[in-house]
Amino acid sequence: MRRHIPSVILLLVLLVGWEAIVRLAGVSSLVVPAPSAVFVVLWDGLVTGFLWQHIWITGAETLLGFALGCVIGFICGVVLGEIEPLRRLLWPYVLATQVVPKLALGPIFIIWFGFGMTSTVVITALICFFPLLENTMTGLQAATPEKRDLFRMLGARRWQTLLRLKIPSGLPVIMAGVRVAIVLALVGAVVGEFIGSSKGLGASIIAAQGMMDSTLMFALFIVITAMGLLFYQITLVFERWLLRGWLKGKVS
Amino acid sequence: MSTDDAFFSVNGVSYAYADGTEVLSAIDWHIPAGAFHCLVGRSGCGKTTLLKLAAGLLQPTKGQVQIEGHMVHGPSPKVGFVFQTPALLEWLPVIDNVLLPISLHRRVLADDRETARGLLDLVGIADLAGRYPGQLSGGQQSRAALARALVASPPALLMDEPFAALDAITREELQDDLLRLVSLRQTTVLFVTHDIAEAVYLGDRVAVMDRGRIALAASVELPRPRNTNSRYDQQFTAQCQHIRAAMARPVAEAA
Ligand SMILES: Nc1ncnc2c1ncn2[C@@H]1O[C@H](COP(=O)(O)OP(=O)(O)O)[C@@H](O)[C@H]1O
Ligand SMILES: [Mg+2]
Repeated sequence: MRRHIPSVILLLVLLVGWEAIVRLAGVSSLVVPAPSAVFVVLWDGLVTGFLWQHIWITGAETLLGFALGCVIGFICGVVLGEIEPLRRLLWPYVLATQVVPKLALGPIFIIWFGFGMTSTVVITALICFFPLLENTMTGLQAATPEKRDLFRMLGARRWQTLLRLKIPSGLPVIMAGVRVAIVLALVGAVVGEFIGSSKGLGASIIAAQGMMDSTLMFALFIVITAMGLLFYQITLVFERWLLRGWLKGKVS
Repeated sequence: MSTDDAFFSVNGVSYAYADGTEVLSAIDWHIPAGAFHCLVGRSGCGKTTLLKLAAGLLQPTKGQVQIEGHMVHGPSPKVGFVFQTPALLEWLPVIDNVLLPISLHRRVLADDRETARGLLDLVGIADLAGRYPGQLSGGQQSRAALARALVASPPALLMDEPFAALDAITREELQDDLLRLVSLRQTTVLFVTHDIAEAVYLGDRVAVMDRGRIALAASVELPRPRNTNSRYDQQFTAQCQHIRAAMARPVAEAA
């Protein structure tokens, strides 16, 4: 906790400075709102429940898309990682689809899945899919040749080698992909809502922009940032628990 | 030695990797059941390759390998392998690493845990059973790997420079542990090392390998059980010198 104290002090100094400049220079709240005004809007939104419904929707989209994308990405990564001919066949397409900006597909998803939550979840899932696919494929190669020989010597079947050697060996790499995915998921959900939804934090930003309400937009940024940090921390805790064996070894 | 009572029979085995260069040529080697044979040679001479052929991890390009008179087509459950690195699974506690050869084939029973604990006790790390491999020193990891190789009681062990990375004292301790364990169980052993003294101390017979051929094979005439005193014995030194000389000779002369 102690090592965070300087960071907290810096934050307070910045906020006070910001407040002072806005007040003294008389900057329009349309351009840069004062922190105090943002805080009031944020507080009101949380107390009245206005913000909670959007938080709930964006949170649900993020987590649903994240879960779908991770599970499908992991399964595809295992299948492609294990079946060499399939990997050779599909790899150019995987690469090609990876460079397609997924958000550019938003409009077509709106045609397919309608305006609302489904489109946003699909975009989010698509964004999470690739880091998991790639990291799973890489992670499955992580087991050393000696460990593979060990499993062969012990007469392990192919699925045993996969479940008990390759996947656990690749877990640190796979979890790095999960960490990337959770950050991208929130971005995906918020930006997905820009184009395809009328509810949620992203849609609220667009609505606030329509009303020229910069103060509300800043309040929404803060909520999104807090959600991102929370999701990331939860992923980190989960990762530490999952990799406790490896981590214990690192403690000197 | 007759080839009938041999546990391992290597008959005219040659091996070439995918790039085509022959790494082993026409190797003949027989290990009687219960014997402890050592293979020494410079690095890159083909020791690991021969061990993998004996294990069934590789198939010879010429000749054949037999275990108890049967052709080897793949890894056999009768053979335990100890690798150059401990190759422990980082995500499992030591005890579960030791039990791996069993847990891959059936449910682990209380008896198996007893056996595993007994082995950990014999290699001197009983108190570390619950630790993760990353929390062990190099020597402790090697001990755990040895316990794992022995837990399913394989009649034979193939060992690829298992102690090469350890300090001299730890290595001597592990050599003594190994001799104790395999004489207890009458295990047949083929032990690869680049250390002549280690080969002489451990083996009933030592083969010198040079550029894919057996350059010399000598029986070790030292009484068992061997202990630290044996290492300073005149006979021991003489044996080492004999083998050292064979390793220095070019292969054409030795043949
Ligand atoms: N996978 C491989 N592909 C091609 N050549 C190899 C491979 N493994 C080993 N070799 C070559 O075979 C020779 C013998 O290797 P190895 O059996 O590992 O020797 P040692 O264990 O005695 O050090 C070396 O010259 C090495 O370069
Ligand atoms: Mg080697």
